[in-house]
Amino acid sequence: MGKKFKKDITSLDLIFDYINTFVSTWQLDASISFSIRFVVEELFTNMVKYNRGAMNDILISLKKNNQNVIIGLVDYDVEPFDLTKVADVDITKPLEFRRAGGLGIHIVKRMVDQIHYEYENRNSKITVIKNLEQHNA
Amino acid sequence: MLDVALSDNGEILLSGRFDASQVEKAKSIFNQIEKSSTVNFKNLDYISSAGLGVLLMTQKRLNESGQRLKLINMNKHISDVFNYAGFNLIFEIE
Repeated sequence: MGKKFKKDITSLDLIFDYINTFVSTWQLDASISFSIRFVVEELFTNMVKYNRGAMNDILISLKKNNQNVIIGLVDYDVEPFDLTKVADVDITKPLEFRRAGGLGIHIVKRMVDQIHYEYENRNSKITVIKNLEQHNA
Repeated sequence: MLDVALSDNGEILLSGRFDASQVEKAKSIFNQIEKSSTVNFKNLDYISSAGLGVLLMTQKRLNESGQRLKLINMNKHISDVFNYAGFNLIFEIE
């Protein structure tokens, strides 16, 4: 399941269309919709920007069960990069010392409930879980 | 798709979706700002870290000459993103 997208920033329009269809199908609210868009864009653009290997398409999958939305991205034939081990950004630094780098992953970590990273056969797989019940509580 | 426009009262009006594919378009406007300005988010539906980066770079550049951006009318989801990023500490937001 899922859909493959060209490893290029210009794929974002098609990716957002894919997300919108998923959101409409499951009638998810605006907050969950925003989170899915943010998480998928940040993880996808991270794979594009740092291009740690081949230019194969990236697989994006969206699933829902009773409690969760499960977002998956697979980057094929690349070097490993475990974003769960990336250090947090110090968001208390004064303006002159702030940098934009790393903010996306920093925010993703705060927006979702679980992030898992797997590396096997030169493929990087990221799975993100957003809990719907906790969100609605 | 992002739209960036200047209103009659000098506000920068953002509308649509400020994602990574819209950075160059946004920079073409924000790089021209030379004095304190208000950015109106009323019609902005979405922003990612790429958009935050454009705002941060503009704020840093303006700050060097004692100028700054004020951000108004954010929706709750965008406001949450700004708070997660600590941008509530470096921007005036109302």
